[in-house]
Amino acid sequence: MDTLFRLVSLQSSDQQSSFNSSRTSSSSRSSKANHQLFHHPFQNQQELDKYREECGNNYHLCVDEDFSSSSSSKHLQPHLSTPPTAATTTTASTTHVLFELADFSFPPDLNIDFASPSSSSSAAGGGGGRWAAQLLLECARAVAARDSQRVQQLMWMLNELASPYGDTEQKVASYFLQALFARLTSAGPRTLRTLAAASDRTCSFDSTRRTALRFQELSPWSSFGHVAANGAILESFLDAAAGGGGSPQPQRLHILDLSNTFCTQWPTLLEALATRSADDTPHLSITTVVSSASPSAAVQRVMREIGQRMEKFARLMGVPFKFNVIHHAGDLSELDLDRLDLREGGSALLAVNCVNALHSVSPAGSRRDLFIAALRRLQPLIVTVVEEEADLQPASAGDGGGEEGEEGFLKVFRESLRFFSAYFDSLEESFPRTSNERLALERAAGRAVVDLVACPAAESAERRETAAGWSLRMRAAGFAPAAFSEDVADDVRALLRRYREGWSMRSAEEADDPGGAAPGIFLAWKDQPVVWASAWKP
Amino acid sequence: MSNSTSMSEEASVSSDHTRGHDYNNSLSSLCTPISPPYHQQQQQEPSPKAKKKRSQPGNPDPDAEVIALSPKTLMATNRFVCEICNKGFQRDQNLQLHRRGHNLPWKLRQRSSKEGVRKRVYVCPEASCIHHHPSRALGDLTGVKKHYSRKHGEKKWKCEKCSKKYAVHSDWKAHVKTCGTREYRCDCGTLFSRKDSFITHRAFCDALAEESAKLMAADAAAATGMTTSTSPPLLHHPLFLPFSSCDSLPNPKPNCNTSPYQVKPQNPLPSSLLHPYLHHFPATTSSYLSATTLLQKASTMGPTTTRSATISTAAAGQMGSSMFDAGDPSAWQRNDRLTRDFLGAVAGDAGEEGLLSLTGALGLDLVTAASCDRDDHNKHFVGFPPVTGTWGDC
Repeated sequence: MDTLFRLVSLQSSDQQSSFNSSRTSSSSRSSKANHQLFHHPFQNQQELDKYREECGNNYHLCVDEDFSSSSSSKHLQPHLSTPPTAATTTTASTTHVLFELADFSFPPDLNIDFASPSSSSSAAGGGGGRWAAQLLLECARAVAARDSQRVQQLMWMLNELASPYGDTEQKVASYFLQALFARLTSAGPRTLRTLAAASDRTCSFDSTRRTALRFQELSPWSSFGHVAANGAILESFLDAAAGGGGSPQPQRLHILDLSNTFCTQWPTLLEALATRSADDTPHLSITTVVSSASPSAAVQRVMREIGQRMEKFARLMGVPFKFNVIHHAGDLSELDLDRLDLREGGSALLAVNCVNALHSVSPAGSRRDLFIAALRRLQPLIVTVVEEEADLQPASAGDGGGEEGEEGFLKVFRESLRFFSAYFDSLEESFPRTSNERLALERAAGRAVVDLVACPAAESAERRETAAGWSLRMRAAGFAPAAFSEDVADDVRALLRRYREGWSMRSAEEADDPGGAAPGIFLAWKDQPVVWASAWKP
Repeated sequence: MSNSTSMSEEASVSSDHTRGHDYNNSLSSLCTPISPPYHQQQQQEPSPKAKKKRSQPGNPDPDAEVIALSPKTLMATNRFVCEICNKGFQRDQNLQLHRRGHNLPWKLRQRSSKEGVRKRVYVCPEASCIHHHPSRALGDLTGVKKHYSRKHGEKKWKCEKCSKKYAVHSDWKAHVKTCGTREYRCDCGTLFSRKDSFITHRAFCDALAEESAKLMAADAAAATGMTTSTSPPLLHHPLFLPFSSCDSLPNPKPNCNTSPYQVKPQNPLPSSLLHPYLHHFPATTSSYLSATTLLQKASTMGPTTTRSATISTAAAGQMGSSMFDAGDPSAWQRNDRLTRDFLGAVAGDAGEEGLLSLTGALGLDLVTAASCDRDDHNKHFVGFPPVTGTWGDC
């Protein structure tokens, strides 16, 4: 959290507060008048200097444990010797530091058990290893309650412990702290833009490809949805085409691809199409829509390259192929679907593939419902929906995106914490120790967290919903669930077998809800459903 | 066996259930399903010393007795029934053993060797199947059972790892032995143990881009004139041929000529290409083999299979591969000995002629074509598994 310190050093003078005079916590300055939650400076310039030289701009993990002294200044001294590293195992010892500080009026009700597991945070389910979640929740509660003192304490503590290069707990703490900070300083959208610009600078076809492919190689997070969707699309197409009675007219399939996985789903479909179709290979067209609030040139370049590769690959496979990319600026619901000639004049069967696309539509108003209704009007053969399972809807459906109350904020925060903790945990266990690809994925997740915690819901593209929620919307729009066939289920199971332990698949139907609350299947990480895949037909 | 008798009758078609074709003298091995080379166009006879090679299955002895069983009977497990007690057995030997227990008098003991016990061939009970017609009957009962299961039966056996389904248990067993043990190698050198990650990688691999870049250059030259082509244009990479060389085919489609490197969206194209060659080669779907050809290329097998690899590409013979053979003079030339051997064996001269006529149609002067990319193509050959082996299941 560099920003924490940067603000401190920039503004040397500020209001005094009524805090305990021996307190030496750091604080950040609010730049806006609205959020005066943080307004405590250092007691004096001397301490400020000491602190700064201690901590500099890096994360500072104290290793020493000898803190018999109770005076406030002393605790800052002995730690110059340990330069901040990417070491992650010092968490436990660090925390002991904080408890030794008698002057640091530690909230007595904060009963966090830091008894450490070794390095892996996944070792302990509740208790010991989950300090990040507890601290973050406490902090969020304090933010919601506008308890500035507490917020400061907790954020300082979190700042000490967090690191984007540490273990899962530290990473989660780091990214959520960043988001909380952005929220407090009302700098959510700005932070988001900065982060997005930074990642855009390093974005290239090569980096995108490497990240996406490595991710799919090591984790079934995205390939789960791909396999299920491809299976459903292929089966429904072959059934429909065969049902037409082996007509002399060549079969054409058009896929409207709304996804964020950069077409990595399609090569296996192309291969399957080539090998499984009985006679002539059907013609496949794919229209990929890339929508973002601010389309970037980098993404356009990447998509162009992807298009070329896809075309070449289709030639290799012997599949007649056409590929279109649409770069859409703004919300997906604003896209005019009718202009895309998806039916190719009526000769093609249309399949719509939504992978993580629906949640990018703003939850404000009834945009999502309208969008799904628009999909329904296309009369597709099948619509495959792959979404991440998290209930991040703004609390009040009424204004759906106006200012969230505290309750709403806490609910979203808690849910984001749960979801992204699982995500980071799975990344940690799937990737090797040091991985640029994983870092890129984590940063992307960090941006999502900033969006969720610090930005208004109406402009958010990260407001995921649960399977049950999406199912309601789909049904309301006139879709009926199409169950995955046994073959597809077998394929998915076979897929999961190729990955490490921890992943499982389960059907979404609940036993206690015979109506079938949510059709489709879940991918579960350590028994927690994280990704939902389903298929729908008009 | 009655082979000698039937051979003398071959000139005059005596059997009413075979077409009046001129089977040549290689009828001596009628006891096995391997039948004489089958020429639909009645080309010249192969030389007497022609190696007997497996051609299209189901070209039986004209004089054989054709048996048509219902599906139920066909798939019945106990075909051999003891006449005395009506007990059913799966194998003839078991039935014989059982019959011994009945203390039959000597005469009845002998399996009645009827004077005219003719060779039996079986037709597939499925009406739409090509083997339903007596002239394409299959000679082996077990064979026809397996055929029926494979083609028209329900696939009850499924591989755990890759979800591939099989109707015949032995096919499934054979597959499970090798599934997952095969590795895939991309042109860029990366090795994969999983098919799906290989495919996704291949689609975006830089090696793919390079190949295409070469071909783009080659094709640009080829598009202008397909007359006498020297080195680069003839580097029609086999797998890209299906679409890029359509301009010079016997049935050129007009839109081929415009942008030969664009993928043709017309589906009739592949089928028209297939037709001339269906006669020569077993009918398989073009796309099926181009996809598997890709995977064949990539899977790493021992170097000993290189030879069979070339055989497989020639034999596979549907659109992609046949084009390949014709259009890849360098490989053709280099593996000349092998392919010629094979061609001589498989389709006799007709097969070779077919290919030659193809090249004629293409207007390519194959023999004079220099090959710049010999090594590249060589590289592509490595690692071809025999097509009739485990690959058939893919």
